[in-house]
Amino acid sequence: MSIQATATDLLTIEGLGHVYEGTEPFEAIGKLDFTVPEGAFVSIVGPSGCGKTTMLRCLSGLMKPTRGEVRLEGEPVTGVPRDLALVFQDYSRSLFPWRTVAGNIAYVLPRDLPKAERAARVQESLDAVGLGEAGAKYPWQLSGGMQQRVAIARALAYRPAILLMDEPFASVDAQTRAELEDLMLAVREQFGMTILFVTHDIDESVYLADRVLVLSKSPSTIVESLDVDLPRPRDQVSTRELDDFVHLRSHIARLIRDQSMKGRPAA
Amino acid sequence: MKVSSSVDTVSLATPPRPTRRRPANGSRRLKDFAVRWGALLAIGLVWELAARLADNLFFPPPSRIIERFFELWLSGPPTTFFLTESVATNIMPSLARLLGGWAAAVVFGVLLGVAIGRSKVVGDYVEPIIHFVRAIPPPALIPVFFILLGFGNEMRVTLIAFAVIWPVVLNTIDGVRSVEQLHLDTGRVFEFDWRKRFFGIVLPSASPKIFAGMRVALSVAIIMMVISEMVGRPDGIGNIILGAQRTYRMDDMWAGILLLGILGYVLNAILSAVESRITRWHRGSREGVS
Ligand SMILES: Nc1ncnc2c1ncn2[C@@H]1O[C@H](COP(=O)(O)OP(=O)(O)OP(=O)(O)O)[C@@H](O)[C@H]1O
Ligand SMILES: [Mg+2]
Repeated sequence: MSIQATATDLLTIEGLGHVYEGTEPFEAIGKLDFTVPEGAFVSIVGPSGCGKTTMLRCLSGLMKPTRGEVRLEGEPVTGVPRDLALVFQDYSRSLFPWRTVAGNIAYVLPRDLPKAERAARVQESLDAVGLGEAGAKYPWQLSGGMQQRVAIARALAYRPAILLMDEPFASVDAQTRAELEDLMLAVREQFGMTILFVTHDIDESVYLADRVLVLSKSPSTIVESLDVDLPRPRDQVSTRELDDFVHLRSHIARLIRDQSMKGRPAA
Repeated sequence: MKVSSSVDTVSLATPPRPTRRRPANGSRRLKDFAVRWGALLAIGLVWELAARLADNLFFPPPSRIIERFFELWLSGPPTTFFLTESVATNIMPSLARLLGGWAAAVVFGVLLGVAIGRSKVVGDYVEPIIHFVRAIPPPALIPVFFILLGFGNEMRVTLIAFAVIWPVVLNTIDGVRSVEQLHLDTGRVFEFDWRKRFFGIVLPSASPKIFAGMRVALSVAIIMMVISEMVGRPDGIGNIILGAQRTYRMDDMWAGILLLGILGYVLNAILSAVESRITRWHRGSREGVS
């Protein structure tokens, strides 16, 4: 199930760089070059503040990068492409407090969707994240982890072809996290989505992905791009026991440690 | 600009609202009720007593005012729910122009406020003009409206709308400028068209502010209604009060004043109830229910 050589590149990122203007301009992204094949699951790890959120905003077309280009199926991305969804890192502020949980999800579905199907999709996606009972509540009546899952459910109900996720499991407990990881693998199989997944958790990045991109500190570049050739379907226990898994995670952990040591006075 | 608009935001007419709804037990609620109405009753009694002792033509006792109130407006036939003809000829036109002017101001005020608040170009051109025009005391424009619109209803409705549109505009500007950027980004990600963006994000985000503006507007609208009815063609509640005063019918004058008080109170209560239903999420999300 690794990335096939024949798979076409869905996303092409070429010379992407971003400088935040202001009184003190800040170069968040140095130069990124990579491609994402159709149907791939790509994890992105890197130190905090290295520009992962910035990168996702550029990829999704929400923000115009100051340098370089993002192409989707060969076409330059100018606005947010149809069929693309983004789960924001700041999940609580991306949910609409004036709508119920179910309302938040239903509202992003296309207008012409029949009512019954709309309701079915809302319920289905809520069930998938384990919030089947919470539809009538308001987001502010839920815990942080539950709100995060609502944001995930909303993106899933939208059924995008490309799903960008910005540390989507940051505030859920370990058990729920494992369930959500397997959910992501399942929906990827079921709908053939292409997923870009930003995370702080190295094990998670390896467990989920076909490829892991390790970013450097700002201005960020790609330190290494690792193909993950672990067998699928993956399993929370046995996959994590494989030698390959252990080696990969250790290797990435070392890369990240080296990154964060850089620039610090030697001990 | 920020300063002046926040002055309007601190509404003149914020009704005393329970900040938090607790399932109050019966005796507590009864006590609240007793305190609130007991004070009013006490003042009424003192006034009654003082008025009777003074026996002054200009200050009839409240009991007489209330009696006159019923005679004037609530002594009709059962077929019209006991409302008298004066309700139809005086109160209804007043109410209609009050609500008409206010509603027009709310609709146009919100549209104008959204345009100014969401578009930099419109904002740059129009906002200074708005701040100048709203600084003119509306009654000063009565002569102008006379010339343009005559002495009747159009003049009055326009005057009311013109006077009360500013708090709505300024609060709307404030509200739409503070729309959460991430909500707009969410709308872009999920391909919201302008209708969804407007009705699904901008308007709800701004609604707490808009309601604050609507409440200020309502209280100013009542004032402007009375003022507009004291000039021009004689009809309406303002005219009743002025006419009664000119002909020394003090009971009628006070009954009219009482009517205005009741009207303002009831309209405000209705608006507050609607507001608290629609912006329930706002209070909830700020209290941080968990
Ligand atoms: N609007 C902005 N203006 C100026 N600088 C910004 C802005 N947004 C982000 N930055 C800076 O750009 C850098 C990258 O930010 P970004 O949010 O992309 O990091 P991140 O990798 O997502 O971090 P985290 O893992 O903590 O979420 C940070 O150092 C941040 O200070
Ligand atoms: Mg981030």
